[in-house]
Amino acid sequence: MRNFTVRQIIAGFAILLLLIAFPLVVRQSFHIHVMILVFMFGMLGVAWNIMGGYAGMFSFGQAAFFGIGAYTSSYLSVTYGVNPWIGLLAGGCAAALVASAIGYPCSNLRGHYFAIASIAFAEIVRIVFNNWKRVGAAEGLSLPMQNESFAGFLFNSSKLPYYYIMFAFLLISLAVSYFVTTSKMGYYFRAIKESHKIAESLGVDVVLYRLMAIMISAFLSAMAGTFYAQYILYIDPGSVMLLATSIQIVLIAMLGGAGSILGPVIGAAILIPASEYTRVALGYKGTGIDMLIYGLLITLISMYYPEGVWKLFVRIGRNLR
Amino acid sequence: MALSLLLVLVLFASAQAQQNVIKIGAVYPLTGNIASTGLDCKRGVDLAVDIINGKYDLDLPLARSAGLPNLGGAKIEIVYADTKGDPKNGMSEAERLITSEKVVAMIGAYQSAVTKTASQMTERLRIPYVCSDSSSPTLTEREFKYFFRVSPHDDIFARDQFQFLKDLEKKTGQTVHNVAVLYENTEFGSNAGKAYKKYAAEFGYNVVADIAYAANATDVTSEVGKLIVSKPDVLMHASYITDAILFTKTFKEMGFQPKGIMTMAGYIEPGYLAAVKADGNFVIVRSTFALDLAKNKPLVAKVNDLFRKKYGIDMSENAARSFMAPFVLAEAINRAKSTDPEAIVKALHETDIPGNQTIYPWKGIKFDPKSNQNIYARGTLVQIQNQEYVTIWPFDSASKPVVWPFPDWKERK
Amino acid sequence: MPDQLLQQLADGLLIGLMYSLVAIGLTLIWGVMNIVNFAHGDFLMLGMFASFWLCTLYGIDPIFSIPISFICMFVMGTLIYRFIVSKVMKGPVLAQLVVTFGVSIFISNLAVYFWTPDFRLLPATILHGTWQIGGIEFGVPKVAASIGSVIASACMFLFLKRTKTGKAISATEMDREAALLMGINTERINSLSFGIGAALVGVAGAFLSTYYYIYPQVGGLFGTIAFCVVALGGFGSIEGAFIAGILVGLAQTLGGFFFDPSYKYAIVFMIYLITIWIRPQGLMGW
Repeated sequence: MRNFTVRQIIAGFAILLLLIAFPLVVRQSFHIHVMILVFMFGMLGVAWNIMGGYAGMFSFGQAAFFGIGAYTSSYLSVTYGVNPWIGLLAGGCAAALVASAIGYPCSNLRGHYFAIASIAFAEIVRIVFNNWKRVGAAEGLSLPMQNESFAGFLFNSSKLPYYYIMFAFLLISLAVSYFVTTSKMGYYFRAIKESHKIAESLGVDVVLYRLMAIMISAFLSAMAGTFYAQYILYIDPGSVMLLATSIQIVLIAMLGGAGSILGPVIGAAILIPASEYTRVALGYKGTGIDMLIYGLLITLISMYYPEGVWKLFVRIGRNLR
Repeated sequence: MALSLLLVLVLFASAQAQQNVIKIGAVYPLTGNIASTGLDCKRGVDLAVDIINGKYDLDLPLARSAGLPNLGGAKIEIVYADTKGDPKNGMSEAERLITSEKVVAMIGAYQSAVTKTASQMTERLRIPYVCSDSSSPTLTEREFKYFFRVSPHDDIFARDQFQFLKDLEKKTGQTVHNVAVLYENTEFGSNAGKAYKKYAAEFGYNVVADIAYAANATDVTSEVGKLIVSKPDVLMHASYITDAILFTKTFKEMGFQPKGIMTMAGYIEPGYLAAVKADGNFVIVRSTFALDLAKNKPLVAKVNDLFRKKYGIDMSENAARSFMAPFVLAEAINRAKSTDPEAIVKALHETDIPGNQTIYPWKGIKFDPKSNQNIYARGTLVQIQNQEYVTIWPFDSASKPVVWPFPDWKERK
Repeated sequence: MPDQLLQQLADGLLIGLMYSLVAIGLTLIWGVMNIVNFAHGDFLMLGMFASFWLCTLYGIDPIFSIPISFICMFVMGTLIYRFIVSKVMKGPVLAQLVVTFGVSIFISNLAVYFWTPDFRLLPATILHGTWQIGGIEFGVPKVAASIGSVIASACMFLFLKRTKTGKAISATEMDREAALLMGINTERINSLSFGIGAALVGVAGAFLSTYYYIYPQVGGLFGTIAFCVVALGGFGSIEGAFIAGILVGLAQTLGGFFFDPSYKYAIVFMIYLITIWIRPQGLMGW
């Protein structure tokens, strides 16, 4: 258990309060939308971290879990009228199941091979969903615009409920992440990341713990997927199962600081606004300058802050002692 | 003396104050994979705005006056947003344009998946959306209250292509029995594929191949191989530009020789002919616009001249489709004498623009009261001859006869 | 039907050889430096554009501009290594993975900025048309690309096995530390390998430009498939990449033809996954 000084606790609370107050003060819905995306990608990054940053399985296919979550809850809601909150849990379970099915044979793959296998797996999932007539195939699923309600996970008049729900989800994922790090499970994860063989010789059931990491990661990613479906009200394989999204998640986790709890959130807080605001400011010209800046940013950060920007914040945090 | 000068100044100032600007939002894929199409649409929209805001001697709504006369000559300003082809951006950009930029109406977004989410947002926020470049039938099947579509949709286009086959049979005695259906595997293609299969059954044709594929494939030899063994009389192909290019090259290479190739979308993009040149000859494409319409409609030539002067190239089908939406909106706003969204929607319901005030072969523009689809929207068929798009159907508006069957690849120069 | 089957086999072979050519540069970089070069597809794109501009502006046929592309891409590769990639070599693995992503995004959008997103196709070059042999159509540009692929793979193979520099590269691939101890300047080897890897895919781009359309995002799918090919063949193994490329090409074409074209890439990825499960180090990896 880390000991926090009073100053650090106050700083933490201050940030929390700021985030809670944000949408009440800043009323422009676009900025709120950007923050919602920050939370969502932050959560996806935290979920990735459990697999990648902690247990050393660099997955480039998280979008598959995100998409499975979105599709499960949406399909159940549209076809059988199942409440989206229940659909959320169903989606998480579905993703975890698929994750374990793919994770088991892949559990002894090393770094790069695992990465490429995850890409292959995610692309297979996307292609299957793109052709699966039952869930809409390429046309995707449209969620009907019904009356808004919390129980129905649908809000029309304001973004605020979406903001707070996503914020809550993010906090949940951070809590899970914290629990994983500080528990015995986290200890085993780190051992596995360092070296399979040593972990095995110490009696750690490598396969079991790798599977657990993958399943937790998948479950959280699927939760974010259900949120997305309820927020955008239209999903298709081309928007929720993209390789580009998976890559973005890795970038966020890595640039923020893989292996640290808050790292991915910091990464999301930097990269998402960077890409959203440059697109708004420069994208309409069609020259691609916004993406140039984005690419440059990624390159520079990985060159000069390879451990992630998180280290910078740690230093600032230390100065608060 | 000073007093009268002051009065003049005050009057002038108040007139200036009335010289306000009407903002309309436009969501298009201006960067990303499909950016060349997005920029093409933008060209059409920009020219339309020029004509509305300026004084031109053209038979287009509001062309002859500068700006909107019923609102003191107010000018239209288009605020663009880049969607990058992502539906989630379609939604957020539509929202941003409405809430931050305060646009009073929306146009766009070319890709039907993006139009879907963008129009969901405008429906939520009660802002009118006039679409003239997305062709998925589902958009108007939703029967949204604030979403209007000017151009024809893929169901109409698919039916047209089969009607052509029947007309061809009546006219020349050339019969067709077997049809192969080929389509790219996203929202647009699969809807088009569905429509093709539906009308094939309705018109009594036999579907011998039903092939979906990934639009950005590295190679399409398997797909063409399957087409060859199914021995169709006619191929119906719904594609984007990249697959159109790849398939044409592969058809030639593998010697795929049906009696006719009838297509949607990709083959009519300017980039297609620029890439494949003479290999594109004799392909038939559905179209809402062709330069040779100018024969019966001089307006088309005049508009194309303006387009050429501004951009140095001829008007393409995409630019032509996107061209109309600003006019429909401006005309409705002018009639409503207000920029209030509800008033605009009411005016749109009463829109009745005659066909000779458009650059298309339509009877006019009038929206169905339930689906808000333009009831007069229809397509024509053009065929590429000598690397130009020539109207060949309906036969009474054709400028040249259709070349049928599809000439042998090996016998062409 | 047997006619078409042979045609599909032939085409599968041809496209497979193109995949091999794209992959050998990638496997070299991967094997030597343990870096997944995510910008590889964009290097391919640059090779295609180089060939395109040399042809349309200066009238040099792609076949003859290959040496020029080779040298330019080699220089570019070495520079990218020296100034960007080398800085992350000592850092965490993840940073190495991500930096090439940044480079990839930067390069493809630089291309958009300078050359617009429009699609371009080279007009008929010296090698064009099709040859008909035994009822099967062989696209001449594709055949040329395949011959190029065979030559390039053979050259690389011999280079690595017979020349002094090549052997130094192989040694570094096998055991970095041992190579250092033997006095091999691994930094120089890294830089050289990155340059050669870029040059090879540049050559692939030159061949590809003779029959595929050219635009800034063209590297995408080819890049993803190349990763599978390399992993399937085994990192660092030229022979592995060569064979795996052919296998992938055949799987794609035959799978698409007999099964369902909309699933053809899924089939490719499935074969990759199955092979990896059975033999994690790839076909010829160690």
